[in-house]
Amino acid sequence: MFEVMMYDGGVYRSEELFEMIEDVGGVVLQKNRSSQMLTVIMSVPGEDKEAISKLCNDIGGVVKEVPLAGTEIAVVGPTLGRHHMPHPICDIAEELRRYGSITVVMGMARGRGKATAQMSRTEREIVDEYDAAIFVMGNFKSCVETKAELIRDVHVPTVLVSGPKPEGVDDCCEAIVSGVGRKASRMRTPPERAKLEEIADTLEAVLRDKKRSLEEDPLFVHPAEVKTILENYEPINMCLRPAPMVLHLDGLRIKIPYSEHREYLENVMVYGRRLGDVADIFPSKIDDSSIIVRIKTRSQVEDEDKARQ
Amino acid sequence: MDIEVIGDDPFGSEAYSKLFDEIMSDLNKAVLIDKVKLLLNPKTPLFVFSIVLRAEPGKKTIPDVSTVRMETEGVHVTITQERYAPDILAALWKRYGRNNVYQQTRFDLDVKGATEAELAEMVVSSGEEDKREIMGAIWRTMPEGIKNRRTLMDGNVITVVATEEVLLPEMLAKGREIHASMGGAA
Repeated sequence: MFEVMMYDGGVYRSEELFEMIEDVGGVVLQKNRSSQMLTVIMSVPGEDKEAISKLCNDIGGVVKEVPLAGTEIAVVGPTLGRHHMPHPICDIAEELRRYGSITVVMGMARGRGKATAQMSRTEREIVDEYDAAIFVMGNFKSCVETKAELIRDVHVPTVLVSGPKPEGVDDCCEAIVSGVGRKASRMRTPPERAKLEEIADTLEAVLRDKKRSLEEDPLFVHPAEVKTILENYEPINMCLRPAPMVLHLDGLRIKIPYSEHREYLENVMVYGRRLGDVADIFPSKIDDSSIIVRIKTRSQVEDEDKARQ
Repeated sequence: MDIEVIGDDPFGSEAYSKLFDEIMSDLNKAVLIDKVKLLLNPKTPLFVFSIVLRAEPGKKTIPDVSTVRMETEGVHVTITQERYAPDILAALWKRYGRNNVYQQTRFDLDVKGATEAELAEMVVSSGEEDKREIMGAIWRTMPEGIKNRRTLMDGNVITVVATEEVLLPEMLAKGREIHASMGGAA
């Protein structure tokens, strides 16, 4: 069983850490270097976790738990107008990053109002590309209850964050956290920080269910292994966008144009199979500049193999 | 600033009272406002935001925001309200030229060839501009989707009646009622 952890420290002797991760068969999920400081999110076998932690301490860093590492979360507000942004949407996104996830902030084109709020099909499909979504609503109970209907058709797990506790919308989303509505200032008081932690913990619990269902029918290949294989592909290696490859629980987002690189990606060999055979590869709904890879489960691959025979 | 909230949503009422205070303070408008009444009815939806200003924003001339003293070659101006300093300087430069306006310190100016009477006629801020800024601040505090708005303005009372779709006569009547209760014309 692989476990995810984060090293936070200096670059001094960090080569030793990377060597050890490689030796134990682990994978670096994310690496951020800022001047002489380094953070590394890694996935390592459970039995080697202690040895890695010891090395991290020996080289002067600290080890932190990152329960949301390897996930990409969308934090969605009704709009990107100043009524809803940047507080509390950015505060929530920041908290999730502290938990190790990659976050994006989204606003809907026509999400404002009560009777006129809409979520288009494209917006819904974009949200469905992420591992989970947090919808941040406002201060009025009747508005929240009406707008909660918008997220009913979103397929990924969703957490609804709102000021008052809405009633009768429990089936629209996986979890509801109340007590955070529209705000005009940063969430920095102790009760507000506790509320942010509650949101992150709720999301973690929601994703735990998704991870459990993936364990029951495991993926053909772990996304981190695909990431390792693709890391040296030049267009990805040379890509200047932050985090050119982002891990999802069931695949990954690769930030290179689909039309130019589809063929290469489909023909990459993974455990003796073409990636195109063991994963669905399609362009992101945002635009053509990103690719979504959804790895099929082992049972799916077996079924398809049988059907072919 | 005294805020009264009328609404049947306890969480929303408390949150909007705090939001109004915070946003007005952020925009430096809280000091201008004496009394506030907010009607929050999200179910309809109808929102009425009514405020009473401490004083009606009017035209401001140079002597209103500074002290003016006659001297041998012109006048000496000491700016007393800092926010008007750029407007005063711009108005004096425009009329007397840069060479005739000598700025001793940030707030002390010598203006050659000027008279007290001339300065008393120079307007540095019109009341309209202040009202527009206050209106902008009120709009910012209102919920974003409530776009259909009617503004009632009488002296130092400003009331904004807003809804999401059609502004019905009874909504406007409710707005007028609140406007009158704050001291505006019925």
